[in-house]
Amino acid sequence: MSTRPAILVEDVSVRFRPYVDRKPTLRRSLGRLRHREQEEVIALDGVSFRVAKGEAYGIIGRNGAGKSTLLRCIAGTLRPNSGKVVVNGKLSTLLQLGVGFNPELSGHRNIYLGALAAGLRKKEIDQIFDDIVEYADLGSAIDRPVKTYSSGMFSKLAFSVSMHLDPDVLLLDEVLAVGDVAFRAKSMKTMQELLDKSGTIVFVSHSLESVEGFCDRVLWLQDGRVMAEGDSVEVVGLYKEAATGSTKNA
Amino acid sequence: MTLPAPAPIYYSKRLRLYLSDLWSRREFVWFLAIGNFKARNASTALGLFWWVLNPLLLSLVYYLVFGVLFDVGRDIIYLMAGMFVFHFTSQSLTGGANAVLQNSKLLANLRFPRIILPIANLIEATLGFLVSLGVLLVIAMLAGLPGLRDLEWSSGLPGPGFFLLLIIIPLQLMFNLGLAAIAARLAVPFRDINNFIPYLNRIWLYLSPIIWPLSFLDDRPVMGRFAEWNPMFALISVYRTALINYEFQPRMLLYSAVWSLVVFVVGVGLFVRYEGNIVRHL
Repeated sequence: MSTRPAILVEDVSVRFRPYVDRKPTLRRSLGRLRHREQEEVIALDGVSFRVAKGEAYGIIGRNGAGKSTLLRCIAGTLRPNSGKVVVNGKLSTLLQLGVGFNPELSGHRNIYLGALAAGLRKKEIDQIFDDIVEYADLGSAIDRPVKTYSSGMFSKLAFSVSMHLDPDVLLLDEVLAVGDVAFRAKSMKTMQELLDKSGTIVFVSHSLESVEGFCDRVLWLQDGRVMAEGDSVEVVGLYKEAATGSTKNA
Repeated sequence: MTLPAPAPIYYSKRLRLYLSDLWSRREFVWFLAIGNFKARNASTALGLFWWVLNPLLLSLVYYLVFGVLFDVGRDIIYLMAGMFVFHFTSQSLTGGANAVLQNSKLLANLRFPRIILPIANLIEATLGFLVSLGVLLVIAMLAGLPGLRDLEWSSGLPGPGFFLLLIIIPLQLMFNLGLAAIAARLAVPFRDINNFIPYLNRIWLYLSPIIWPLSFLDDRPVMGRFAEWNPMFALISVYRTALINYEFQPRMLLYSAVWSLVVFVVGVGLFVRYEGNIVRHL
């Protein structure tokens, strides 16, 4: 059992066919990879890696490198054109903050909506509801419509919901820097606890310091291909080198 | 805790798995529908009343234009009964595509049977429709329609035709869901469909027996021959029997049932087969 990796990604490729007259959501997610002349856009090209249980795994790369597409494949919402993705364990995704939330409704109501969207039953949410509220630490604002929240408050609530889903595998997309200093420290501690329980965290971030400090291993993606993978300090170092090199050229 | 195990299974190939997954998510469907319903009603001053006001105002506009100006038909209760029923279906058609297109965040992040989104939208529309039916009955009573006196409505005893609602509402629900699923299936890869739907709704309204009386067909044999092929013709006819005591035509119930079943099976089938590709097109 313990030898099975938490996440196995094998030779995954994703191609998109962007149309000019479509809503820009797709194009935004592809970022700079977009070329209108090009019929097909390759978002991921033969990506392989595995993440062990209890490991914190970082994914870095420029905008449009395919990071979010990769997370969507792991989350199972996007079917790769080829390749295999296997996730062992219960998955909680925090690809974007507050997924399933309805801004017109109260924080209270949104805790239920968010957790139901993630796959919990109402009975289960009843049991963890007080913990979620306490962790989010929003005081009486929990009964106000979420649209009145500041972005920090919103993040706290969303993060609290995700952490209480008791996941084995947590996917985070650029959502580490949430809330104030105190909340950030608290969220770091919670994630460490998850790792200690041999949970797994995959996170995408542009904050190289937090990737370096928090992750055991890092994957560097560029134009949908793996540039480097391995020890976090090493890979982040390589990435920094390349990044400063390209700004000098530009 | 039962977070869904994200094994690489794609729903469409296993119908039973899909259905059991859908069933286990019923609380989510309900919360989504009620949440949207509340949110929509909270953001406008008149809230819930818009569900009634929209078809009501539309009825009045058409009554003024066609009933008074062109003198096509003078029976406003007839017009309203047709309009409310039509409005329910046209709302589902518009809302079904939007339910998928506007929830890209949810779709990109979480796995769940995608048909949940059109279903939640349908539940939301149904709540509004039921409210509008209640209002219609009250208005019909106030208008003192002879048909309603025959039903002994005032003594609280609904007539036999009224129970047709128990059949025709579920049939229309199936019809609407199938239609919403087809709209969503087409609108996700081809956004242009969304621009086309309002015109489709408009022409469908004119082709249905809503603003013109049934006698309108008598001297139009060509239109008369094809009018009954329109699923809305059958659905509205049955509703008129149930609500305002028009003569019951079993043929219309049969047409309604056939249309609803076919559209439901085709629509949901197309949608479920396609849903694995939705995120690719968002």
